[in-house]
Amino acid sequence: MSVDDETSGWQLTESDPGVFTELLKSLGVPMIVDDLYSLDADSLAALQPLRALIFLFKWIPTTSDNEPSQKAGTSDPDFAGFFAHQVVNNACATLAVLNALGNIPSLQTGPQLSELLQFSTGMDPQTRGLVITGSDWLREMHNALSPPSAFSLDGLGLPKKTEDAYHFVVYTPIMGSVYELDGLKPHAIRHGAFEESGEGWLKVAREAIEARISTYPVGSLEFSLLALRDDPLPSLQTQLEHYQTVGDSASAGDVLSKIANENSKRERWAFENSLRRHNHIGLVQALLLALAKSGKLAPAEEVARKAMKERIEQRKARGEDMDED
Amino acid sequence: MSFAASEIHLAFKAGRAFRREGTNVVECNPTKGAIYLSNGDDGLLHFIWKNRDTNDIEEDLILFPTDATFTKVEQSPSGRVHVLKFSSSNQRHFFWFQDADASRDAEFTQNLNGLLQDPDYDVQWRIPIERVDRVDPIGSSGGTITAFRPSTSSSRPTDIVVPSSNPATQEQLQTLQRILTGMRSQAPPPSDVSLSDILTPANLTPLFANHPELIPTLFPHLPADLPVPPSAEALQQIIRSPQFRAAVSNFDQALRTGMLGGIVTTLGLPEEAGTGVVAFLRAIQQQADRERERENQMDTD
Repeated sequence: MSVDDETSGWQLTESDPGVFTELLKSLGVPMIVDDLYSLDADSLAALQPLRALIFLFKWIPTTSDNEPSQKAGTSDPDFAGFFAHQVVNNACATLAVLNALGNIPSLQTGPQLSELLQFSTGMDPQTRGLVITGSDWLREMHNALSPPSAFSLDGLGLPKKTEDAYHFVVYTPIMGSVYELDGLKPHAIRHGAFEESGEGWLKVAREAIEARISTYPVGSLEFSLLALRDDPLPSLQTQLEHYQTVGDSASAGDVLSKIANENSKRERWAFENSLRRHNHIGLVQALLLALAKSGKLAPAEEVARKAMKERIEQRKARGEDMDED
Repeated sequence: MSFAASEIHLAFKAGRAFRREGTNVVECNPTKGAIYLSNGDDGLLHFIWKNRDTNDIEEDLILFPTDATFTKVEQSPSGRVHVLKFSSSNQRHFFWFQDADASRDAEFTQNLNGLLQDPDYDVQWRIPIERVDRVDPIGSSGGTITAFRPSTSSSRPTDIVVPSSNPATQEQLQTLQRILTGMRSQAPPPSDVSLSDILTPANLTPLFANHPELIPTLFPHLPADLPVPPSAEALQQIIRSPQFRAAVSNFDQALRTGMLGGIVTTLGLPEEAGTGVVAFLRAIQQQADRERERENQMDTD
């Protein structure tokens, strides 16, 4: 397949919960994404109702040249749920979210997403991937949290900031089984049925993720986990009203502090997202100019020069050399 | 020629080698470099050798299809010395593969020759796609910011990855990225200075403290949709944020390319300010001196 203009234009975004949550908001889905720091039952229970886990990992080649083969799970070519291949670079975060959302029964969404999900029903994963990444409106939502194009530094032959090789995999319950949806694999992978009682699907998902992590040599894997969950604020609000009605002020206080935490997290996300969208070059210039006018630019430059020199020497001392990689 | 508007077909680490005068002995030069095969702005195929220490392009040969071949020098004991030969002349350029791993030399050679014969040649890589790392640079959930947007329209290999059906594109990209990353990790010239080391909280905090009158003048440069009212605290928070730090670092990296002439003129600076970090800082200092002079004149008037 040749390089195709139609599929380009997806910009790099951060895989930050605030970015994901903003995307969900644009999609009209009343859910949020949170960081998950542990897979233990209590941490997961606190985030219920949980819809999907997004396992984001970077595999660092160590001595062995091959990614460990994964024996866990069964490839399911007849998977009847929603699964799209990743056909465009940079879209993987958004694609992972769609692979999760597409499998949530009676999902509340905005009109565009609901139309897209309907339109792509029954398509094979490759075609579905093309349809998704060909959606201008989706690309615009995705791109909305990238640095502004006014100061696009494209085409300068600049190296990418990171060659970090991240990969997104979704684990989610579909029709009684936990599935792994990886847009780079040909098929969905089934990890077995789960019990509705107790921990439910999360038990199977945790085992699958833990098994996967353990197949990598120690130190060869960097990963993070994100949780796609219902927006807790409406239910917290309902609980608060309930406790206030029955006069349980202790429980009401608990709920109030949860609401306050949730709100301060949203404020932080909003702040960070506004910085993500912003073109900071004007501020950079104004700050440098202010340093210069107060006579501090030249000394700062001198210190910076020394810092750079020391960094280079340290690097040399550590013997960092790509030819010995 | 720059890489700016060009399309890189292939890239790998290689050094140059030279024939000792009057003999048939070819000696490998230890300087670290890389070979690029790329379509130039002129639409012609360029064979480029770039010095990985200085980042300078030291060899830029325009090749016409079928004119050149890249072949192994059988006499070389390492088996890694290759020669670029021309059918239209008896020019010879010697190179040696510098990647620590020699297992892919033949593959690069084969693809390079394919492209030298036919610029539309479909490069082939034997590395299975399953093993190819993803190249979507995303921060971890800790919030590392990504650096540069990919181009929206050109067909540089960095734009598109079609993993299931086009391993070559992804592999090219990977190779390219490895090299570019390597270049970046090379020590810049000792005189170098980074904007990230100047716009530090350590430099800016005393500036805000000593010149409180400055703070409101910076507000217009803050995001219009900032969810909190602009304040000294918000400003402090912004200059410490990973998003701002990344923007500074991106701008710094972009200045290093020396190709920001167009962008800096929109900031009211001379085009020359876009040729490097030092040039940019000098232009800022001149702007400051001019403004200060004007202010002093107004005071004495």
